[in-house]
Amino acid sequence: MPKVIIDGKEFIAKENETVLNVAERNGIYIPRYCYHPALSIAGNCRMCLVEIEKMPKLQIACATTVTDGMVIHTQTEKVKKARQDVLEFLLLNHPLDCPICDQVGECYLQDYYMEYGLKKSRIDLKDKNRKPKRRDIGKHLILDNERCILCTRCVRFCEEVTKTSELFINSRGDHSFIDIKTEEKLDNDYSLNIADICPVGAFTSKDFRFKERVYRLSSTSSICLSCATGCKIKVQHNNGKIYRILPDPNIYTNTWICDNGRMSYKITAGPDRLTKSIIKSEEHHLNKAIIKLFDILKEAKEKNLKIAILLSDYLSIEDNFALYYLGFEILKTDLIYASKEKEQKIEDGILINKDKTPNSNAVSQISKLYGIKKYEDLKDCDLLIGFYDDIEKLNIPKNKSVALSYKADKEYDNLIAIKTYFETEGSFINWQYFLRKTAPSVSAPTDTISVYDLCLKISELFGYYPKEKELNKIFNELKYKTED
Amino acid sequence: MIRTKKIESKPLNFFEKIYIIEVIRGFSVTLKHFFINLFFPSKIPTISYPEEKVLLPGNAKLKSRHRIKLRSDGTPKCVACMMCSTICPADCIHIEAAETETPVEKYPKVFNIDISKCVMCGLCVEACPEDAISMDTNEIAGGAYSRFSNFQKDGLFLTKNELFIKLKDEKISKLGAANRLENEYGERND
Repeated sequence: MPKVIIDGKEFIAKENETVLNVAERNGIYIPRYCYHPALSIAGNCRMCLVEIEKMPKLQIACATTVTDGMVIHTQTEKVKKARQDVLEFLLLNHPLDCPICDQVGECYLQDYYMEYGLKKSRIDLKDKNRKPKRRDIGKHLILDNERCILCTRCVRFCEEVTKTSELFINSRGDHSFIDIKTEEKLDNDYSLNIADICPVGAFTSKDFRFKERVYRLSSTSSICLSCATGCKIKVQHNNGKIYRILPDPNIYTNTWICDNGRMSYKITAGPDRLTKSIIKSEEHHLNKAIIKLFDILKEAKEKNLKIAILLSDYLSIEDNFALYYLGFEILKTDLIYASKEKEQKIEDGILINKDKTPNSNAVSQISKLYGIKKYEDLKDCDLLIGFYDDIEKLNIPKNKSVALSYKADKEYDNLIAIKTYFETEGSFINWQYFLRKTAPSVSAPTDTISVYDLCLKISELFGYYPKEKELNKIFNELKYKTED
Repeated sequence: MIRTKKIESKPLNFFEKIYIIEVIRGFSVTLKHFFINLFFPSKIPTISYPEEKVLLPGNAKLKSRHRIKLRSDGTPKCVACMMCSTICPADCIHIEAAETETPVEKYPKVFNIDISKCVMCGLCVEACPEDAISMDTNEIAGGAYSRFSNFQKDGLFLTKNELFIKLKDEKISKLGAANRLENEYGERND
């Protein structure tokens, strides 16, 4: 175990650890552009220069491995001067178009300039190198070569993470620029991560382009529900509107997230969002819709019609159990169905799972516990309650079903507008058996309701008042892991 | 601690005490103005606002109603960087950005200023990196000086139509991110 002294304090380092890692682990921040914890070390930006005793020149902290007895200084005059000069060099050909740049607020150039630079440019505006601006290079990305500082994080990302290698550095010297191989587009499934790891505004997202300033957004930790992987995400929103989704890197599941998951916030607001419930082809406010639905169920129960209930892999554990409770305890029906167990495996070797539903692990456990039948056994019924996406896959007449949906669909007679998991809480068990919860980040449209509350209200109308303990007992019986 | 200062008033003299002489003195001031107004109307110190106007004095004209300056091709200089709406202490500026085909890339699709909330601090003018917003129209928003005023409350809500204007005899300034905009360096004179 080598012992090193950084800024006068002694720290114990691990074998083959770099100076930057030791410093960061102990709370000493060294500025960097090209270093990224999840990518290989390039050492080309020279921003992390530190002074090491007995070495004639300044060394880059990101690529220097520690040895026993190393004495490192990160705050000396020599280091500060070096940082200032590196910054001046990186800003030499920078166009300084911060007013129209989307990176403002999370730009390393701006942050480090205020901290270490504060020096006027010695080059005239006319003498700056001009490079291509606003290049459309893929489905999700826009590239601005003038803003680029050639840290090659993007090139390394495409080589090491997605292994598609679309990007490379073209030309030489101060004319070099990031380019894309001919007749190719940057269309891999993880392309928007490049916009995240770009320390400057060279790669920006098309979807987020000019929508909002980054420093105005507030962040809520949640999970992605696009597939069974269940990545942890940060939902960024302002004034009740979600603007983008970023990954929340963790050692258990994900460092990145896929583009599909990033676009999943669009269900909350859009032209086809269902904001009012439809019962018998008529729009109703929330309270009236619940009473109308209750009337339908009551009539069906009195006439001894066959009421079927579908548990859904798309809904949370609480919602599924509330649906089961509604069917079993209140409607007294045996026709409760769940999907059969799905094969879960990472399809592309990075994150995307073969199973596209977020909660199939929990639902298959519930169906084993209570002996619930499979979707395939559903032959015929008079009334069907279930999640929209599940009913779509079954061959049941659409006028017979009550669909819980985010999406408006004119083919259905009965649609209940429910809250998305960006607007309400829910627990999910991912493919690694981690139990994770979504958190509400924005408020839902007024006439929507969560499935849990809907089931609760209907059982109250039937004269049952289930206690929270009764509805949450399922958590004692499920098998799951927690992260801490 | 509250500081107090005692002011001793001058005691009244005999003529002031008998009161009637001071009343006559006061009336004489009123009568003086009455005769000036009657025989020399051009010397009246007041104006019949809002039909008549005078130029605002001194620096007051630099804190008048906002406008957004235009480039020589008529597009707004504003690039919707949101600096003004970020710094605004009254939160009265609302901007929505959009993309244009010109080399500027970004322009304000919606630009609203709610003057009824505005505190006329001028921070937006100082914050603007493009030298686009200014308060030099010499008009009082919503008042008679405003060319768009209808003396109603909604006259205080300025949108693009009211804000994007060019003053008479205005020279186009070359400040801001002008190096991207060739039309600013062009020798066009409108």
